[in-house]
Amino acid sequence: MSTVMLRCERTGREESLAAGLAVALSDVDVMATAPGGYAAVPATDRDTEFVNGLAEREGIAFIACPADRAPDTYRLAEVSRRLAAVRLGVIRRSLDLAVEHLSGRESGGEPLVRKQMITATIADVMAEVEMLRAYATSQSDPAALAELHTRLDEVGWEVTTLFGAAGYIADHPARALYVSAIVASVWIDREGVTP
Amino acid sequence: MIELDKGMRAIRDMARQGGEELRTRALSIDADPDDMAPHFDSPVFALVRQSKTPLEFREPGDHLKWSLDSDSCLADVVGMVELGRGDAATLFACPSPALAGVFVDLLGDAEQKQRFYTRLHGGRTWTFFAMTEPDHGSDATAITTRLDKDGDGYRLHGAKRYVGNAARGGIGVVFGRTGRSALSIRAALIEPDAVTGWTATRLDTVGLRGACLSEIRLDGVPVTRDMLLGEHLPTTRRGIWGAVKTFNNMRIQVAAAAVGTALGIAEYVEEHRKGAPGAALALARADAARELVYEAAARIDRDPDRGYLSSAAKLGATRMAVRVARWATGAMGPAGLIEHPLLEKWTRDVCAFEFMDGTTNIQRLHVARGLQTGDADA
Repeated sequence: MSTVMLRCERTGREESLAAGLAVALSDVDVMATAPGGYAAVPATDRDTEFVNGLAEREGIAFIACPADRAPDTYRLAEVSRRLAAVRLGVIRRSLDLAVEHLSGRESGGEPLVRKQMITATIADVMAEVEMLRAYATSQSDPAALAELHTRLDEVGWEVTTLFGAAGYIADHPARALYVSAIVASVWIDREGVTP
Repeated sequence: MIELDKGMRAIRDMARQGGEELRTRALSIDADPDDMAPHFDSPVFALVRQSKTPLEFREPGDHLKWSLDSDSCLADVVGMVELGRGDAATLFACPSPALAGVFVDLLGDAEQKQRFYTRLHGGRTWTFFAMTEPDHGSDATAITTRLDKDGDGYRLHGAKRYVGNAARGGIGVVFGRTGRSALSIRAALIEPDAVTGWTATRLDTVGLRGACLSEIRLDGVPVTRDMLLGEHLPTTRRGIWGAVKTFNNMRIQVAAAAVGTALGIAEYVEEHRKGAPGAALALARADAARELVYEAAARIDRDPDRGYLSSAAKLGATRMAVRVARWATGAMGPAGLIEHPLLEKWTRDVCAFEFMDGTTNIQRLHVARGLQTGDADA
């Protein structure tokens, strides 16, 4: 795996979504590369042009991009793969927190983390993380990358549910998972997506 | 398939119209859920409040000549799908009897019902239904909040969390237990501004911000005899029975709200992104889920104690709605969520249904039990 992909995942895991995004976009002309009318970027040194409460608190800003640009599909695929690595890092950090959370809660005298349904979710998340890392590392076809991010949305939601209602509080670390889906919705072209 | 009769179709059509108005208020309530003054006198809020208020407790000037039959889960669900299609979070922001009303109707005596409904006159205050606790989720039997004997009455000690509208509610229901058995679970009708020891604060949530989910600290809140619900009923009908019945009703309503939200999302995409791939399929799935929640509601009306199908409906509807929202995110194209704030709001709101009245894992347990006990095939 390339050094930048490793750095993206590690920064997403050890620091934050915004810090990981900064690594992913470090050598990218975001205004020229973003596929839609806005780009999602780390909030550092930039004024957001669209206020989203959750994203703002996660350190993410949105800036408007010029309308008529020729898409640089090669560059965009690279951003997509790096963003996937960042999201994998965020998922890993959140999963670690979820396991800690579930180890401290009991039902019927047993820690929740030992309940089979919970164990199944944790295992499925990790298996999917391993698969999606391989996906992000090896694939660059736009349709594959679109699917990769949809699956990251899904696995992010699985992790979110492990926190129960606590993860629905805006200051909870699970916020990064919600915002990472918004960031991906800005950077990834999924127009052919079906439900 | 459930064929709606003329009365049900009238409820559906009126709720659909109300839903359209809810939607016009949705973004401002999401942005500042505490700024409710501009919405108090809205026609849809009056409709929701009055339709949930029994005729004998209406205030002079109420124009609605009917009320929803509190025994008809189907009527509630038909209305909820349409209102949720407008905007569920705005519906939950409406000052109305809501879930507490369902419970007070079941367990309140005449004087308590009078007190409860009169308090809501004018549409300026909310109700709350405080069951859920920080460490026990929506498991009614695991409540740890205590009702300690104090002279002729009791005092409430404990904490509640994720309770809608508690931080701004004028009157509501709080559950506690007087002892260890399930029958010792009792409910009190509390007016926070008339008691000591009550602290409630709003929780800042990811979505469904109109619901004003709150946490409550109960430090010896005095409960006099006239505040205890169900005193006039047999012991077995005083607390947990009503809670379970109310939750059975709520579960299917949460499913209906999820279906309504999914319908709203799919229709929004269809309107704003002509020819979006998958729009017909997303609508078909939401339509099918609507049929299922109708069927589950009708079954609850026939046999309120059998919860299998409502659990299956809640599980399936919530999952479907989250998936429709995910599809919509992609279908609107890159930055579609930024350009369509209402859609972005719904993608946050729709996640709340997972955590309300039993998560997917809890519903899985209910569904599996329903299969094993024969409820699924009855």
